Amino acid sequence: MRNKLFSLMAVLMVAVCAVAQTSLKGRVIDESSQEPVVGAKVTLANQNISTTTNAAGEFTLLYLEATDEEVIIEAEGYMAGLELINLKENQLNQMDAIRLQQNIVTQAQDEILLNLTEEEMSDDEGRSQQQASSSSASTDVFNANTSFAWSTARYRNRGYQSYAESYYIEGLNFTSQERGQFNYSAMGGLNDASRYKEVLNPLEATNFSFGGLGQSTNYLMGASRYAQGWKVGAAGTNRNYKARINATYASGVLPNGWAFIGQLAYRFSPYVDNKGIIGEGIKYYSLGYFFSAEKIWDNARLKLITFGAPTERGQNAAVTQEVYDLTGSNNYNPYWGYQNGKVRNSRIVKSYDPSLIAAYEHKFNEKHWLKVAAGYHYSMYSNSALTFYNAPDPRPDYYRNLPSFLWDGQIANPNNENSAGQLFDDNGNHYPWGLFIGEDMKGTNLGSGFIGADGNLVGPSVDQTQYDALVQLWQSRDNKTTQIDWDNIYAANLANNYTDPNGSARYMLERRHNDLQELMASVNYVNTAFDHLKMTVGAELKYSQGIHYKTIDDLLGGNQWIDIDAFADRDIKELATNSGFTQEDISNVRKNEIADDYNNVIKADGRHFGYDYRINMQKANIWFQNEWTFNEVDLYYAIAFNYSSMQRTTNMLNGRAWYLTKVAEERTGADAWKYYGHTAYNQIKALEAAGKLKAGSTYVGDIHTFLDPAFKLGANYKINGRNHLKLNALAETRAPFARDAYISQRVHDRVVDNIYTHDKAKSLVDFYAASERVVSADLTYEFNYPIVRGRVTGFFTQSWNGTELNGYYDDEARTFVNQAMTGIDKRYMGIEAALAVKMGTYFTLTGVTSIGDYRYTSDATAIQSAENGMPMTQNLATQELVFETMDKVLLKGLKLSTGPQLNASLKLSFFHPKMWFADVTVSYHDWNYLSVAPSRRMQGLYTGRRLDGTSVNGWFGDSYANAIQTTDNTPLDVTFDADGNPTYNNAVLDENGVPVLKYPYNIMTMQESLAATNPLNRFLIDASVGKLIYLPNRQSVSINLSVTNLTNNTHFKTGGYQQARLPRAVRQGEKDYRNSVITANAWKYPSKYYYAWGANFFLTVTYKF
Amino acid sequence: MKTSKYLSYIVLSTFVLALVSCEPDPLKSEDVFITEAQVAEITADGKVYDLNEFLDTFMTEEGTYHNDTTPYRERSYDATHGLYLYSVDTLPQAGPGIYIRGRICTDDYAGNFYKAMVIQQIVNGEQQTLRISVDLGSSGGMYHMGQEILVRCNGLAVGRYANQPQLCVPSYNNNIYAMNASQKVGWCPGRINSSEFRRATRMIGTPDPDKLQYDELTLAELYAQVPQKPTTDAAGMDKVRKADGRLVRIKGVHFTGEFDNNGTLAKCDTLHPDSSSNANVFAPTTSNIGYPQSRLISDGSKSIMCSSSEYAKFAYYYLPGADRHGVTECANWEGTVTGILGWYLDKASDLASNKLDGYEWSVTPRGIPGIGIEDVKMYYQGDTDRPWKPEEFNPNDYQ
Repeated sequence: MRNKLFSLMAVLMVAVCAVAQTSLKGRVIDESSQEPVVGAKVTLANQNISTTTNAAGEFTLLYLEATDEEVIIEAEGYMAGLELINLKENQLNQMDAIRLQQNIVTQAQDEILLNLTEEEMSDDEGRSQQQASSSSASTDVFNANTSFAWSTARYRNRGYQSYAESYYIEGLNFTSQERGQFNYSAMGGLNDASRYKEVLNPLEATNFSFGGLGQSTNYLMGASRYAQGWKVGAAGTNRNYKARINATYASGVLPNGWAFIGQLAYRFSPYVDNKGIIGEGIKYYSLGYFFSAEKIWDNARLKLITFGAPTERGQNAAVTQEVYDLTGSNNYNPYWGYQNGKVRNSRIVKSYDPSLIAAYEHKFNEKHWLKVAAGYHYSMYSNSALTFYNAPDPRPDYYRNLPSFLWDGQIANPNNENSAGQLFDDNGNHYPWGLFIGEDMKGTNLGSGFIGADGNLVGPSVDQTQYDALVQLWQSRDNKTTQIDWDNIYAANLANNYTDPNGSARYMLERRHNDLQELMASVNYVNTAFDHLKMTVGAELKYSQGIHYKTIDDLLGGNQWIDIDAFADRDIKELATNSGFTQEDISNVRKNEIADDYNNVIKADGRHFGYDYRINMQKANIWFQNEWTFNEVDLYYAIAFNYSSMQRTTNMLNGRAWYLTKVAEERTGADAWKYYGHTAYNQIKALEAAGKLKAGSTYVGDIHTFLDPAFKLGANYKINGRNHLKLNALAETRAPFARDAYISQRVHDRVVDNIYTHDKAKSLVDFYAASERVVSADLTYEFNYPIVRGRVTGFFTQSWNGTELNGYYDDEARTFVNQAMTGIDKRYMGIEAALAVKMGTYFTLTGVTSIGDYRYTSDATAIQSAENGMPMTQNLATQELVFETMDKVLLKGLKLSTGPQLNASLKLSFFHPKMWFADVTVSYHDWNYLSVAPSRRMQGLYTGRRLDGTSVNGWFGDSYANAIQTTDNTPLDVTFDADGNPTYNNAVLDENGVPVLKYPYNIMTMQESLAATNPLNRFLIDASVGKLIYLPNRQSVSINLSVTNLTNNTHFKTGGYQQARLPRAVRQGEKDYRNSVITANAWKYPSKYYYAWGANFFLTVTYKF
Repeated sequence: MKTSKYLSYIVLSTFVLALVSCEPDPLKSEDVFITEAQVAEITADGKVYDLNEFLDTFMTEEGTYHNDTTPYRERSYDATHGLYLYSVDTLPQAGPGIYIRGRICTDDYAGNFYKAMVIQQIVNGEQQTLRISVDLGSSGGMYHMGQEILVRCNGLAVGRYANQPQLCVPSYNNNIYAMNASQKVGWCPGRINSSEFRRATRMIGTPDPDKLQYDELTLAELYAQVPQKPTTDAAGMDKVRKADGRLVRIKGVHFTGEFDNNGTLAKCDTLHPDSSSNANVFAPTTSNIGYPQSRLISDGSKSIMCSSSEYAKFAYYYLPGADRHGVTECANWEGTVTGILGWYLDKASDLASNKLDGYEWSVTPRGIPGIGIEDVKMYYQGDTDRPWKPEEFNPNDYQ
């Protein structure tokens, strides 16, 4: 009784206090369903005070100035609302229910965006399109108008790679520790699961994590957010899948405090047997589910969430300009072919990310609350790939299968590169570097061929008829020429069953599994006990395990697969010689499991082969943040400490690791342990000595641990209620991702050298030898008037000491090479601006732009090593074989290939109170650059000598190529200092100090702009129209049609990469260890490009009842 | 409520139905190998030529390109006889189908035949053969030894490469980096593009290596059948053409321990096959240039080159009767060498001087996948209890 009395008195006192000062109370509801809108942001424009609505859609603002005020209400998936109110002094001002209207356009766009990013997930080869930044936020005029509109162009916020962004679900970190990406396929098609989210701009204070360099997104999936009722929908599109159906039921908050929601979404497309259209040769099946239950008590709530989307879908690939020209389509897909007359794609992704989350929030009182969450996530991701052994390469677009291979010169008029004689495509795009269909290749026309430096002719290799015949086959999309020849592949295997029944199938479809399981927890405590101060303390724990192995998907008629490494098998003679062993002695080298009891025979029975390793990663993070709010200024700072570790374990004892260890032992023995790690090395040596090596054993590599601090701060100066000036800054170190840390993680445990330096560090400098260091700052001016609102932001970010890993076939070493680059510095600077102007009752005109300059600011140091253990070169002076070469990669000044750096768009939106929506957006994108192959920018290629002093066989300045421009037209004169750094005595240097190459050699190293030659083709136009129809009994139907790339611009390159290989020919008559020369055929390994889809639509119909 | 229930049923049943995603049915032998009936059907638009008949009909000595104004292969032309050692004749694309058929008797993967295959046809109990030049790496993985193929030759070409007939396409050699490049630049037979070859070729039945025919003969018998010196007369040329590509078992021979031009091979404890072409193995390195390495085999009076590629699986195996200690025991090992007989005459000067330079005739041992050089069957001084066992070069032997 005393307690009740006390409570009553407390309530009365609060009420009295509230009444005694100026305050505002209100409720936000959905216009259609009348259900409360949870999490809506309510802002008083003049006083710049804001809050969010609770589970009942209610909000309260205290300590206000009595004045006329504009109340702005913004919520995800709704049109922003604006209400005017005259706040009476010392009163509790009560507003009528504020009704928000759903914005079906942004809802549909969010869904399209989610699907787009899901499809761009990189494969295990790490080769994929740049992911578009996908998080949108309706409260920020810049983000709201760029995330969808610029996604087609693969725009990335501030040019950051995807790892700069953080993704959370209910406060749990869902960004992969291994790759630094968020797996969108986990939520494929689940538009309701991903509907509610907090999105925070880079560097700003966050309330669910420390945040980071890029945007931070926290998906909120509590069931109480969803209005009661059914929602069923259907969608049709001409994208990779063709249709989607979905159904959602939400209970709303029941009287007992429970709320439930469940969604099923099914997206599908059978194989598309139609060449030249979007999604050709692709199938798509995905069933998504999302269930969430939430229990609400007075001071607490518990959320239980699960979701996943088993998906099976075909993939497509980047192609060269030649293929694009020949097929005349940006939709050509080389991954598929006909099998007995039916379409089959060789690259099928299977993904399924079951996730389970439990989140608990407890509000001790108005000034203390706690959030705790735990989750488990298992990401099953695999893709199939056609592989072959001792058989012809089956890829239709393999360079030897293209017409260009028959034309060594591939130049129309090379001696006059600026002449009018050059070719143009049907769009007027100019090809300044290489043509495929040009001059008559019969001898009489050889005069137009390229005259090499030695006066000899580089010309055709076949006659015109042969060339034309192949061109015609490509242009007509001949099945056997332009697609995978499944029938022939089967024939090869079936024939092999007769001639070599116990041998390896010649072809098979393997499945590369890259699973990831994550166990995570977070705790977040907020204290507002002190005036003006909000203190947040958080901690995150995360254990991740990357699981990588291969299985056989389909033997394609073959009897079995013999699991050996093709490169090691090919070079075993040389490998044996190099190590001083016989082939028999090192027969293990080609095995992927040297203790294999099955003699490496693999059937399609799910057994792992090729490689089978795990990367164990742990992460612990504590952070705290203080935010002060005053009338004129808000201040904050935050500090975090990140502990992380990585460790590789393998279930297969790889023959190349075994071989490299042997070689190392033969030499000094000092580094032999690196290929296994200390413990595993001793274990393996002991077992080997005892003859007890056993297949399937697990070998545990070394643990590498990192401790990285981060600090950020910011200030928001309120010039007045409508004009703000914000300054934010961040400094942090960042441990390398596991994907970049291991030089050849499929084979052995060896990490990049600076991690070893870090591991045995005795100084602070050494301790951070492997970590990337980042500083960043931005300055924003933001304004918000009834008619006009917008912002302008300038930002600057510099990072140092980044690490990247590449793999490629090296024609000088004649084998597959892993390249570990360290010491990479990058700079990102630019301006973002957005302006939205209300034009009368119905129209809003919005202009946004982002102008950036994202580039490398240093060269990198790279270590190259052959994956099969081959020596990279030989020291001609000592005759010693060199297994790892070190060289400088000349990256300085090159642009980062993270999407267009110049973007601008103008959007006209229409909204009619009778719930008609429409908008049209015109976007311009420029300054987009090709990803340069580091292997083509090695210092040794310009000097003939690597940083480590070894010689390069076949380089730009040698007497064969003579490709370096010199000031006196004499051969290159270069000298070296003691560290191996060159001084060019007579070379013409570019602004970054790199020697300028003569035409056409310059084509091999230059960074190409991806912007269309014709400026008109740099524009993209999108449009959408929608209608929301209210029906009786709180029912509604919404229809939305969104058309992207309305003008069907098929010349828009979204990204691409330079192939790593350089054209080389064997130099005869020499007895060097390697004998090659870089030829003038600069087009032999052309760049590959991704193109934007042409016109595509997305039509959705949703019925709520 | 009722509506909800129905909707749920519809949605669920659609899920189940649409989940059925499957790939095309696996293919069986009958789907990919054609039968004789199908051969007849396919070739009904033209004629299936015997291999010799095919060459007689379509290959001229001069070739389509001999009068071209383009640079010709300087070393290929013999002015005295007006003969090109390299020639290309194009075959009509249109018109009746021109077909040939034969059984593949080579394997290219590490098996001594690089981007080429030889097909064999038995006509009246005798071998007819033809080389086919195809731009397919590891073509043996797709076109197996013993596989009979049918080739539609329309649009392809036939010509001589170093006087050696082959099915090909016209190719312009522009390897300006080659030794004596200026002598080599010009038109010659080139490799057929892979998709063109796949389109032109059908596989008849399943492969059956047992159906390949071997001509077993001594060196003396061989040389009685073929010219032993460059020849330009029609009869001699005909003999050359008919012998080239034949699958032979040359019996009663031994390795002499010499390489081409009668140079003596060195011991492997003094010369390393990685650095010396004179090391005592089948095919030491050519520093990745790739030309075949020759080892002399002899019956005591006559000899022929045994030619192997450095890429062959057995390239670093000691020659029969030899080891790191030298070559003196070679003559004690005698037996049979199986391979493809080859004729290679690439210099007009040889023709003019009417003199062999030691490179013309060769036998290229077939490498059989998984078996290697087993087709070389030799025994110690005729002792069949002591067969030659291939022994790999041991780097530790190298001093």
